[in-house]
Formats: sequence, C-alpha cells, structure tokens
Amino acid sequence: MDNLVITAASQVNDGDLLTARLGGRFGRMDRLSQLALLAVERLGAAFDAQPRDRVGICLAVRAGSLSTDVEYWKGRDLAGGLSPTLFTYTLPSSAIGEIAIRHRLTGPNLCFVGNGPALLVEAEDLIRRGETDACVCVFCDSITATAAELIQEPASAQAWAVFLERNGEGVILSPENGRDIASLCVNFCARKSANETNHASLA
Amino acid sequence: MQVSPDELKAKIIESLNLQDITPDQIDNDAPLFGAGLELDSIDALELVVMLEKNYGIVIKDIEEGRPAFESVRVLADFITARRPPPS
Repeated sequence: MDNLVITAASQVNDGDLLTARLGGRFGRMDRLSQLALLAVERLGAAFDAQPRDRVGICLAVRAGSLSTDVEYWKGRDLAGGLSPTLFTYTLPSSAIGEIAIRHRLTGPNLCFVGNGPALLVEAEDLIRRGETDACVCVFCDSITATAAELIQEPASAQAWAVFLERNGEGVILSPENGRDIASLCVNFCARKSANETNHASLA
Repeated sequence: MQVSPDELKAKIIESLNLQDITPDQIDNDAPLFGAGLELDSIDALELVVMLEKNYGIVIKDIEEGRPAFESVRVLADFITARRPPPS
C-alpha cells in the first residue's frame, strides 16, 4: 500500500491577513475564507504535479460559518440592509469554492463542522478509494469575539493547511504521527527546518 | 448636487472591499462589469445596497438599475438625478 505523505504544510493567523495580497477579490471574502485561502497559498504546493481534477479539497471549520452569520445578521438594522456579498459566505463550505476557483482544483471536496478529527481520515480515505490522487486539507478555526460569546468558546483566527499526496518527500501519515493537522504542521516544519540545517552544514 | 466620480470611486472601493485598487486606477468611462473592474452579479447587488446606504436611492428592480452601472460617470449622473433632496 502506498504511503500517504504530507508534502507541504502551513499555518496562518489573522495577523497574516494584514499583509496578504491575493488580488482584488480577496478583500470581499469573510475572514474564514481569507484564512483558508491564505493557508493554501502559503503551502506553495505544486498542484501541477497532478491533473487538477485529481486534487480534492477537505475543509474542517470549528464553528462553521457562525461568525459570518452573526456579522451578516447585524446588518439587518443598517440602511440598505443585509450585505449580499456577506450572504454568500454564510455557508461553512464557501472557502472550498474560493480555494477551488483560485487554484482551479476540480476534484471531490468535503466540508466538516467541528474540531476536525475526521479531516485527515476522510482525506486519506478519498485517496485510498481512488477518488483522487492528492488532497488539500484545511482546518480553519475562525471565531469572532461576538460568536465566541454565543457558544461560550474562545475566540480565534487561525488556519492550518497540508497537502496530502501518494508518496513524495515529507511527513508520512501514520498512526505514530497521528491525525491532528496542527501537530502535523509543526512536525512538518520541524523536519523541514532540520533538513535545511543539514543542507547548510553540508554546504 | 453633482456627485463627483472621485467620491463615487472611493465609495465603490470601500463598499466592495477592492484591495490594492485606488480611485485614480479606475477609468471614469470604463465598464464596471465584465471588463474593467471585473465586477460580478454579487458586486452589483452590493452596489445597490451602497446606493441606498450612501445616497438614499432605492432600486427595487436590478434591471431598472442596470443601465446606471455602465460606468462610474454614468452612475454618478444617475445618482445626481435620482438622489432625494436633503431634508
């Protein structure tokens, strides 16, 4: 059986959004989509290695689109009414569309609401079943202070992304390495940093 | 009172959250949709909201407003003609 390997990983937070420049359309997105899209951008992954219809997208969002729903609903008292643009982001899976459009990825996709333990399990399953050859996996933890108060959870604004492929250089998806995307991102970055240090000392 | 294209361009940028675009980069006579700023149907709805919010102009039928969205200059003239007098 082929190994499934994380060949790229990234983590971003709301501070990164301040300097992100991903074109004119980026500004109109809700924070969840911005974080998810930026995390995928920072992967720097070579999506060209596979046909674009063989690259899937799996997204997990901790509180769904709750923050955007709250922000949208606040607009009901404003002159002109609710924002049509914001309305398009009142679905947890909107970020998948933004990622697919920007990177022209037309493979299968899945969206989960919650802490995302199933994210990498399902992505692995998609690949092992042959539905796709690689998968962009994103966990987005974006909860505004107002939304956090509603659900009695901490506010946050972070996203993690990994690119999962058959074989390749990186961190192998295994029981030992676990399925927690945040830990795997740390693991990947530590490994990359160690490799760079080794290369530098050999040079 | 005449609405200036520069004022309108600033409002368009703000309401559509157009990143990295400044008013002087928008041609007064360039099409707002399709080419030019490459706005889409969601942006059109957002512009309808912007007209009501900033100028008190209510467009109930998007088809009615369509000709007004031809360019910044045409939209500025439309606002000037349609905005309610200050109370």
